[in-house]
Amino acid sequence: MGLALVGTFGTAALAAAPADTLAEAKKKGVLVAGVKDSLPPFGYVDEKSREIVGYDIDFVKAIARKLNVKLELKPVTSASRMPQLTEGNIDIIAATMTKNPERAKQIGFSHTYFATGQKFITNKGKVKSLKDLEGKKIGTAKGSTSEQNVKTAIPTATVLAFDDYPQAFLALQQGKVAAVTTDEAILAGILAKAPNKAKFEIPPVQISNEPYGLGMRKDDAKFIAFVDKTILEMEKSGEAKKIFEKWFGKGTDFQLKRTFKITADK
Amino acid sequence: MLKYTFDWSIVTSGKYFEWLVSGMKITLELSAVGIIGAFVLGLLIAVMKMSHFRPLRWIASAYLEFFRNTPLLIQIFFWYFGSYKVLPTVVNDWLNSTNFEFAAAAIALTIYTSAFIAEDIRSGILSIPREQMEAARSAGFSYLRSMQYIILPQAVRITVPPLVNQFLNLAKNSSLAMTIGVMELTYQARQVESYTFKGFEAFTAATVVYLVLSVSITAFMDQYNKRVLNPHRA
Repeated sequence: MGLALVGTFGTAALAAAPADTLAEAKKKGVLVAGVKDSLPPFGYVDEKSREIVGYDIDFVKAIARKLNVKLELKPVTSASRMPQLTEGNIDIIAATMTKNPERAKQIGFSHTYFATGQKFITNKGKVKSLKDLEGKKIGTAKGSTSEQNVKTAIPTATVLAFDDYPQAFLALQQGKVAAVTTDEAILAGILAKAPNKAKFEIPPVQISNEPYGLGMRKDDAKFIAFVDKTILEMEKSGEAKKIFEKWFGKGTDFQLKRTFKITADK
Repeated sequence: MLKYTFDWSIVTSGKYFEWLVSGMKITLELSAVGIIGAFVLGLLIAVMKMSHFRPLRWIASAYLEFFRNTPLLIQIFFWYFGSYKVLPTVVNDWLNSTNFEFAAAAIALTIYTSAFIAEDIRSGILSIPREQMEAARSAGFSYLRSMQYIILPQAVRITVPPLVNQFLNLAKNSSLAMTIGVMELTYQARQVESYTFKGFEAFTAATVVYLVLSVSITAFMDQYNKRVLNPHRA
């Protein structure tokens, strides 16, 4: 809460001179990316190397490599990432962030680099359709779009927003909520790590489409163009697909199919 | 140079105003429950701690040291998540079907604050010369009755200023309840921020409410002290 306040006031005071991350990063020799650090397989701490790795990280790594600068990773939360960016603590957000019009008013987005939809984790066999969740408590994380979506889809449900997804999942395990909701890819990650995963499932009930974008400062036009160009090239060269397969494909716990391509979608 | 444009209308009307008002109600409820609970419990612990019966004193000491010396946030998690492991399934099922988030936060706030209040009350009691207790006892009052009629009325008077401090702390500490999903004022302010990115306005509104709440508690206790506890000095 204290941090949130500082961030908030910082936004008002510091959002001055237009950003030019491209020049700044080259000058300093470092690009600072805000990433998740407890959300496999997008961004999490690898048990062996003790470093943050994941799908999001591979994208910013490729961008830093293209820029020929070092990459610095800073853990952010769903609630803190936007203030951190506008304040200048980080240069780019690669933290499972859904592109939406409200956010696009505040920051600039890249083309969609990952696409998913919002679903639920529930106890096995308990939920067949949205009806089964009416009037129930549903857990999610603070500051995410998931919360808004579920309130629209199931107005009678009580939404409990926890600080992060592991806590929301703990609440599900203890029966404090009937479901945890967010993007399917994140849910698959939570479930893959759960010790008693046989008890839970992700029923085929989807309530929204979630296109993820990399977030940059709105007035940072040159950098946004650079990032867009880079990820389109990654699609063309097959690198983007390779990254997807590495984290989500066969041989992983997720076994997701790639149903999207990175295109110029703005 | 300042690019931020203020939009106060989002916190003075419409959907986001309603969120903040509903958050304010829960903050008020939490504070009220916590203040009453913590005072009663604190009084009880203070009396136990001063009892001549040793086991009672030991229990009170253990209680004081444990709850004063662990972070409130951890105590909130303990009551909300930790209690699950200890309680039988039937009780857990029942708790989960109720508004257990609020209850766990209220219990944590009450117990945490009661430990501080107990020490404040005890120091108030100790400041009354022990001859008064001896006089009361030799006049035929029992220990409890001496406390009730002679010692406590004076001690509480002395204790009011530090008590106000504890009440104010409790009202503000109630914001920690948002970590377990209690939709109180700070939670709602943060929600408004993440939906509108107007965090400056949202947190300003929340600040004003906390300020009004704190000043009201202080003013109330001040009047209570003057009119009820010290009518002759007023």
